[in-house]
Amino acid sequence: MAAESPKDEVDTCLSCHGEKGTEKKLPSGETRNLFVDRAVFEKSVHGAKLGCTGCHPGYQEMPHPERPAKDAQEFRAGFRDLCKSCHFANYTKALDSVHFAALSKGNSAAPFCSDCHGAHDIARPNEPRTKISDTCSGCHSGEAEAWAKSVHGETLAKTNSADVPVCTDCHKSHAIHDPRTQTARLHSPEVCAACHKDEKKMAKYGLSAKVYQTYVGDFHGRSASLYAGQTKAAEKVIAVCTDCHGFHEITRTDAAGSGVLKANLQKTCARCHPGAPPNFPAAWLSHYEPSPKKAPLVWATALFYKILIPVMIGGLVLQILLHLWRVVVNK
Amino acid sequence: MKGYVVRFSLRQRIEHLFVMILFTLLVVTGFPQKFYDVGISQAIVNAVGGLDRVRWIHRIAGILFSVATVVHIAVATLIVLLRRAGLTMVPTKQDFKDSIRQIGWYLGLAAEPARFDRYDYRQKFEYWGMVIGSLVMVATGLILYLPVPFTRLFPGELVPVALVAHSNEGLMAFLVVITWHIYNAHLSPDVFPFDTAIFTGKISRERMHHEHPLELARLEGESPAPPHTPSQGAGSGTPPAPAGNA
Repeated sequence: MAAESPKDEVDTCLSCHGEKGTEKKLPSGETRNLFVDRAVFEKSVHGAKLGCTGCHPGYQEMPHPERPAKDAQEFRAGFRDLCKSCHFANYTKALDSVHFAALSKGNSAAPFCSDCHGAHDIARPNEPRTKISDTCSGCHSGEAEAWAKSVHGETLAKTNSADVPVCTDCHKSHAIHDPRTQTARLHSPEVCAACHKDEKKMAKYGLSAKVYQTYVGDFHGRSASLYAGQTKAAEKVIAVCTDCHGFHEITRTDAAGSGVLKANLQKTCARCHPGAPPNFPAAWLSHYEPSPKKAPLVWATALFYKILIPVMIGGLVLQILLHLWRVVVNK
Repeated sequence: MKGYVVRFSLRQRIEHLFVMILFTLLVVTGFPQKFYDVGISQAIVNAVGGLDRVRWIHRIAGILFSVATVVHIAVATLIVLLRRAGLTMVPTKQDFKDSIRQIGWYLGLAAEPARFDRYDYRQKFEYWGMVIGSLVMVATGLILYLPVPFTRLFPGELVPVALVAHSNEGLMAFLVVITWHIYNAHLSPDVFPFDTAIFTGKISRERMHHEHPLELARLEGESPAPPHTPSQGAGSGTPPAPAGNA
């Protein structure tokens, strides 16, 4: 039977599994549906390429080998490794994910391959791109709804542009790490920077591409950068992009509720700097580079030292050299 | 006649040692914050035990340095007011003339080098640079340490001004020390390899004769007090240094 073409094999299997109502009773009393809709399978990405045993090796034997699953959870777990033989890279990435960590701790609600991709109905996961957030919202509905209303979600709905991040752009698709860890937090500015320091991309939307550079150049960013590289855990919470701009719900900076709107900034700062007075937010240059127009005092101070340091050190070194020269000449 | 002159009092020697240690600590814990993206900065942060500890050391050293600065200025002012010592560290017209003459001598335009009193123009320049630099570092450091109380009274934009000033002034101080100060205290052929005067308090009579002939002459009663020194001076407000009399 092994020499059968995929099509023939599907015909053979569906002679039983094509019948609605094909199911299996599990020792737990639950039943598993074993029906496969031919039309759905043929439309799937695997439909034209794979037969049944591509994913269900060994099932050409009749009767089928026994699956010792007690309940639906174990039954599902038995299929977990099926994707590995073709999609090895993504499979191993998924083993590093927060989802697999939850699964191994016994959380049966945590997803693996087929929970996000489907099984017999597998389609391209990102066509259209909004499909990605729909997939994640199956479990993470709150986050997906907040994102849909965000500047990212709204722009995607309007433009369907590949520029706009969906869940997997920030969280990755297979190697999804826990975003709540300190490591993830301290590296999160790099996630935003992936798009926000791309000049071409930002120019399209009239946004500054210097937001990352100006963040890292300032107190918060330097601290986050040094914290991220240290072996010890950071003792203090240092502001990263999301602390001021928000996560999934992120809005335009000039939207009424935005935490970085001038009117709201004092409150936003005070979350980390208790008692921050009204003057305090001006201590942060709002991602602007100092210039004669924006922060003229900072600009002037920087210019002053740009001139003073070389003049001072140059003058002193020149005197040293003159002294040495005199010593040599007098010898 | 002894072969040396006591140049620095115990208080001055301790002050120098104290500032030397604090300055080193401040540079080691400050530079990794300024040059956060240079590989060695991260290595220093990790070696010290994390950024939090780096910052605590920097703050404690900064507070001690601030205290030393305030005490120095207070004591110097007091001593000058009580006329216990002369204004030997105050720049005068003579210093300007000396600098022209000295540089002229370097260039071969003057036959003799300038003859200096207790502090030459270079030492005064370094001293006042250090005093002004310290005041800038203390003030801006405090602003950066306590931005919330500071902005209750002052505009917020002064906080990033303080960051730029602190960072650049610190860099300049470091560069002056590793070029000018290290040259004058170690590498200069006049003192190579080590001018020990600020540690032992003593300087050889021969060096005094060479580097501070006017002061030496005054100490040994060979000439009247110079115009800008009412009594035999001892630096920035120290008790008069006893002459190395026989």
